[in-house]
Amino acid sequence: MKFDPSIPEDGINVSRTHPLREALLLVGGVAAIAIAVAVAAAVAVDLVAPHIPIELEVRLFSGWFDRGVEADEAVDPREQSLAKLLGRMAGHWPENPYAFEIAIWDIPEPNAVALPGGVIAVTDGLLENVESENELAFVLGHELGHFRNRDHLRGLGRGIAFSLLLVAVGVGGSSSAVELASLAGQFAQRGFDRDQEIEADRFGLALLAAEYGHVSGAEAFFEHLPELGGPLDGELASYYSTHPLNADRIQALRGMAHEMGWELRGERQPLLSLSPAR
Amino acid sequence: MVELGVRLGIPLALLVLAYFTGAAVERRHYASIRERELRWRSVPAITFRSVPPSWKVTECTLITGSVVISVDYFKRFLAGLRAIFGGRIKAYESLLDRARREALMRLKQKAVERGYHAIVNVRLETCRMANARNSESIAGLEVLAFGTAVKLRNAP
Ligand SMILES: [Zn+2]
Repeated sequence: MKFDPSIPEDGINVSRTHPLREALLLVGGVAAIAIAVAVAAAVAVDLVAPHIPIELEVRLFSGWFDRGVEADEAVDPREQSLAKLLGRMAGHWPENPYAFEIAIWDIPEPNAVALPGGVIAVTDGLLENVESENELAFVLGHELGHFRNRDHLRGLGRGIAFSLLLVAVGVGGSSSAVELASLAGQFAQRGFDRDQEIEADRFGLALLAAEYGHVSGAEAFFEHLPELGGPLDGELASYYSTHPLNADRIQALRGMAHEMGWELRGERQPLLSLSPAR
Repeated sequence: MVELGVRLGIPLALLVLAYFTGAAVERRHYASIRERELRWRSVPAITFRSVPPSWKVTECTLITGSVVISVDYFKRFLAGLRAIFGGRIKAYESLLDRARREALMRLKQKAVERGYHAIVNVRLETCRMANARNSESIAGLEVLAFGTAVKLRNAP
């Protein structure tokens, strides 16, 4: 018997596939599955959400969004006057089923959002940029419009889908349900479409007219917001990113006012206790 | 968003780093393995249980060669994804291939250094090392090669 000293070719025990190709294939597969699941969830939630009874909505989301106020801090006086103004505006919506709450978020970018459960969050940046009570009343009226049309629930699916994706990727591993929920809330507000915004404007304008007898302040509100570069300039949370401001929105505002015979000019009420608490 | 970037960015950076270091380590290891396989190819390491009848054995001893090899972050990531879909864990194939061949080369090296001419009844054992007790993740592998080294009067 002869010993064969040749060394075998290496290779049969090791696949020739390039590891990066393998990685691309596997990551792509996982991503595709995660996105499919998230999209399916988003569509399902978005379909169901507008039909959730309001009592259930309030029960489900109570306590989710009242962040931004530190526990040891005394109640912000601005919050009380905002709540009063909100109460006056909501008073012109008799069939309103919500018990609204105001939250002031410590965010420099001007923004206001309608959150599930009847919370209207207003940022510091917004409060610093409005110059009259009427402007603020219009913003609150606009957000009330989102509640009336239940837009605030329509985007919820997207928020939940995003949270699901985070969990799938594993980056949300340590996040509590509450953290995910608030993330979902942030994303829920992003990107209402133009028609939803104009509808909310229409409702806000009607409330404004009912409260003051004219709609002065609605346009001014847009004028007093600082100029922002692109839609993604600065933080994503800016008013423009959630409330795309196109020329036709102002156009639509003017049209509505004209159509309904609401005066675009009128005496604006000064801001009383809404100046930043320093 | 910043938090998300950190949470995603650090593992991603580790993955890229692990890919490059892992690939470099593997390339160098294979080069070294091939060089030694060539050097000691004339030393028979065979799996027969007994010595061939023509061999005249003067001395024999138990001889072992073992290697402990670590899984890198990138390979573990690939294997983790494979666990979802099933199929061949290609990332681990080269790891085990290197470990087996390295163990055999150490076996041969030891035998040669001690003046033995051949090794019979060669066996390979693989043992997996966990990161922690009850942990499913693999920290590394040991491959142990052992056999009976023989000195021959009529060396092949
Ligand atoms: Zn809006």
